[in-house]
Amino acid sequence: MADKTYRIQMTLNHERRTFFVTQGETLLQLLREQARLTGTKKGCDLGECGACTVIMDGRAVNSCCVFALCADGSTVETIEGIGTPEHLHPLQQAFIDVGAIQCGFCTPGMIMAAKALLDSNPHPTGEEIQAAMSGNLCRCTGYTKIEQAIAVAAKVIDAYANGKETRT
Amino acid sequence: MEERNFAVINHETPRLESIDKATGSGKYTDDLSVPNMAYAVLVRSPYSHAKVLSINMSEAERVPGYLGCALPKDSPQVYFNCSGNPPSPLLMADERVLTDEPLVLGDRVAVVAAETETAARAAAEAVKVEYEIIAPVLDVKAALAPNTPALQPHIALDNIIQRRDVAQGNIAAGEVASDNIMGDRFVTPAMQHTTIELTCCVADFSDGEHITIYSCSQTVFQERRILAEIFGLKESNVRIIKPLVGAGFGARQQLHAQHVAALISRRIGRPVKLLYTREEDFYSVMRHASDVDLRIGVDKSGKLQLFDTTFRLNAGPYTTHTPTVVAAAARKLQYNVPNYSFVGLSVFTNHITGGAFRGYGNTQLTFGREILMDRLAQKLGMDPVEFRLMNHVQVGQCFPCASIPVSSNGIEDCARRCQQLQREIDRREPLIDDDEIRQAWGISFSCHGSGPSSKEGLSSAVIMVNDDATVQLLVGSSDIGQGSETMESQIAAESLGISLEDVHIKAADTGLTPYDTGTFGSSQTFICGNAVVRACDDLKRKILTQLRVIYPDAEVEQLGKRYLVEANGEKTEMTFSQAIHKIMFDPHGCVPIGAGTYKAAACPNPFSVCFVKAEYYKKLNALRLLDVIEVVDVGTPINRMTVAGQLEGGIAQGVGYALYERMEINPRSHRTLSTDFLHYRIPQMGDMPRTHVDMVSSYDPYGPHGAKSVGELATVPVAPAIVNAARRASGMEINSLPLCDTFVILPAKRGGVK
Repeated sequence: MADKTYRIQMTLNHERRTFFVTQGETLLQLLREQARLTGTKKGCDLGECGACTVIMDGRAVNSCCVFALCADGSTVETIEGIGTPEHLHPLQQAFIDVGAIQCGFCTPGMIMAAKALLDSNPHPTGEEIQAAMSGNLCRCTGYTKIEQAIAVAAKVIDAYANGKETRT
Repeated sequence: MEERNFAVINHETPRLESIDKATGSGKYTDDLSVPNMAYAVLVRSPYSHAKVLSINMSEAERVPGYLGCALPKDSPQVYFNCSGNPPSPLLMADERVLTDEPLVLGDRVAVVAAETETAARAAAEAVKVEYEIIAPVLDVKAALAPNTPALQPHIALDNIIQRRDVAQGNIAAGEVASDNIMGDRFVTPAMQHTTIELTCCVADFSDGEHITIYSCSQTVFQERRILAEIFGLKESNVRIIKPLVGAGFGARQQLHAQHVAALISRRIGRPVKLLYTREEDFYSVMRHASDVDLRIGVDKSGKLQLFDTTFRLNAGPYTTHTPTVVAAAARKLQYNVPNYSFVGLSVFTNHITGGAFRGYGNTQLTFGREILMDRLAQKLGMDPVEFRLMNHVQVGQCFPCASIPVSSNGIEDCARRCQQLQREIDRREPLIDDDEIRQAWGISFSCHGSGPSSKEGLSSAVIMVNDDATVQLLVGSSDIGQGSETMESQIAAESLGISLEDVHIKAADTGLTPYDTGTFGSSQTFICGNAVVRACDDLKRKILTQLRVIYPDAEVEQLGKRYLVEANGEKTEMTFSQAIHKIMFDPHGCVPIGAGTYKAAACPNPFSVCFVKAEYYKKLNALRLLDVIEVVDVGTPINRMTVAGQLEGGIAQGVGYALYERMEINPRSHRTLSTDFLHYRIPQMGDMPRTHVDMVSSYDPYGPHGAKSVGELATVPVAPAIVNAARRASGMEINSLPLCDTFVILPAKRGGVK
C-alpha cells in the first residue's frame, strides 16, 4: 500500500523542516497530519473557502490546492507561527479586541490572508482589504468586524514601524 | 426590579476563547485524533429516489487499508427522528441508520472504514451499488397532487406529514370587516447553512457497550438520547462531548452521521473519524423551501382585520423537524388581528431534507407578511412604520392565538432609532431619482421567541467553588460560535459579584455537565441564563446558611452582592471571596455548591426593525444594496459585542438569502448543482452593503438580568426589508426569492471602514 514518498525541505514557521510526502499529498494535509499544525483548517478542500490559507513565499495560498511537493524549498507561515498567547500578532489582537471572531473556524485563514495583505501593502484602502479578503468566506460575522480588525491592525503595525509605539 | 448599573453584563466583552481561536490552538472536532483511530466514509445514493438492488464490496475490499463495512442489512432496524428536539408526538420516527430505499440525494446506503481518510474514500468509491431508479417528486405542489404516490405510506398516504390548524375569530367575519384585502402567493427557496466547518465526528463504540462521541453538536443531550434508543443502551453509557464548533445555525440541531460512525466503530472494534466533504455538507440539510398563500385585510382606519394563510413547507423525505418548524411559524404573528387562520402543511418530497435553520419557520412566514404589509401601507397611503406600529401587539396583550402576554416591547424605540439612522444617511447621501437610478428604502418588522416555546425549554447549571474563590460553572448548553459560554460566564460573574476572569466554564459534555435541552430556539441567553442565575442564587443562599453556622450568635444577611455579619454591635462586611475563604477554611466549613434549573415558564419576544436602502438601475434592470440598518430590542444585551456580531452576521445571511442563495436541482438529472461554493454563492466581504446595528434600552421582567434572545431574530427581517426596498425602487411586485431571478445583482460599493 505504501505510495512512493519524496523528501522535501521547507522553512516552516521559521524552522527548517524535512518531510516525506506522496505525490498527491496537499500542503494542507502535510500541515495538519504530519506537522500537526491543526490551526490551518479544512473547510472545503476545493480552494473556495479560504479556511486553509497560509503564507507561502510571501503570498497567501489555499494550502488545499498546493501539492506538498511544490512546497519543497519554500518558506511557509501558518497561524501558529505568527504569534503566541503572550505575544499576539497585531492582527490576532485586533481580531480579538473588535469581536471579529465568532465560531472562529475561518479566523486562522482570515488572519493569514490579512497578514499577506499588510506585509505587501501596509496602508490598504477599504476596497483593497475587501478585494484581498474575497477568497475567505465567513458565515457568522457578516465581515464588518473582520474588515474593521484589519484596518485597526494596519494602524497598530504602522505605529510600531514608525516607532510611535514600542512593544511591551 | 433590579438595579441596572451592571458591572459585567451589558458591556462589550471579547469571547473567552478568542485567544485559542486567534492563535489556532483551539480544537474543533476534525483537529482531534484518538489512539488507534480509523476513518469512515459513507456510500451515498446518487439518486433522489431509488431502490438498492445489490451491493458489491469486492473491489472496495481490495483497497489497501480497507478495514470493514456496514450495509443496510447491518443497520439497527430501529426507526428514529434525527432532530435534536426533545421527544414530541409531532416528530415521527421514519429514518434508519442505513437504507436500501434511498429517498433523497445523498441518503445513507453503506459505510466503509479504512486506515486513512484517503483509503476510506477510495474504498467508498469502489463500492458498486446497483440501483433501480424511481422518478422523484421534488416540489410541494407535485407531492400534493392527487395521483402522486406516497413517499412514506406508513406515515401519510397524501404526503402530508402533518396539518396544523391555528385559528381565532372567523375568516368570513374578517372579510366583512376588511375594506381592503390583499393576497399573494409567496415562494422561498431551500437555503443551506454552509457552516465553514465541515460536519465531523469521532466515535468510539469499539467495546459494543459504551459510546463516546466527539461531535460538532448543538444538542448533545438529544444526540445522546437518540443514539441510546438506536443502539438499545442506557443514556449513561453514551457520552457526547462537544469540542469547539465551527458554527451551527440549526444545521447541527440534528444527528448527521454519528450513528453511522458508532455502527462502523462497533463492527471494526476501533474508534473512527467521519468527516463530510463540502458536497456532503451541502445536501445534508436545508432551510425548508416554502410555498405560502397569504391574505391580509384591513379596515379604513388601517387596523388589521384578517390574516389568512396556508403555509406549506417542503420537508424532503423524512419528518425530522418539519412539523415543529410549521408550528413555530404560527406563533410569530406580532400584530393584533381579530380574525386569524393558519393552516400549516408539512409535505413529504424527495427534495433535500429540511431541518432547523436560524429563524425556524419564522423566516418563511415573515417574508410574505412583511411584503404584503408594505403593499397595504402604500395602498392606504400610510407610512409603513406607523401602519405597522398602530397594529402592533403591546405589553400585556397576547399575540394571536397565544396565551402568555407580551412582557416587554421596545419595537417603537427600534423603529425610531432606525428612522434616526436613516435620516443621517439621507443627509449625507440624499435619495437619487433620475433617468438612470432610483433609490428607495424598504422596511420590515420581526420578532422571535427566547426559547423553543414556553413549554420545551429546560436547562440547568452547577457552580462549584474553588478555595481561592474562583468558580467552576457547568452547563449543558452548547456554544456553537455564538458566544454562549462567555455570556453564561458573564451572567454568573454579575450574579455573584465577582470578576469574569474568576469564572471558568465547562459546557456540553454529557458525561460531566448537567442537562440542557439544547442550543436551539435562541434559548441560551434566556433558558440557560436563567438556570445560571438560579444556580448563583442557590450558591449565595448556601453561603449565607454556612456563615450562620460559623457565626451562631451573629446576625448574618446578604446586602446586594456582599455578606454582612453583625455581632455585639460590630459589623463586618464580606465580599464573595472573603466569605468563601472563611467558609472553606473554618472548622465549621463546607464546600458550597450551587445548582439551578429553569423550565421555561415564559418565552419573551425580542423584536427587530430593519431598514434597507437599495438602488435600481432602470436601463439595466439591476439592483444594488447600499445600507442595511437593524435595531433590536433584546432586553438587556448581556454582551453588547456578541449581540452586535449576531446582528451583522444575521444581516449577511439575510442578504445571501434575498439575493442569490438557493439549492438548485437539475430538472433532468434530479441532482443538485449546488455542491460547492462556486455553484452556491454566499456573500463575500466585498458583497456586503454598509451595515448599521444598534440595541434599544429594554428590560424583560422574566429574563436573566432582563435579557431576551437575539440569534435567530437577527436574520428574520432582512430578506423582506430588502424586497420592500427593491419593490419601492423598481416599482415591480416581487413574491419570490432569490432576487437574482428578477434583477441583475450589482456588487456593493461601500468604500472602507472609518
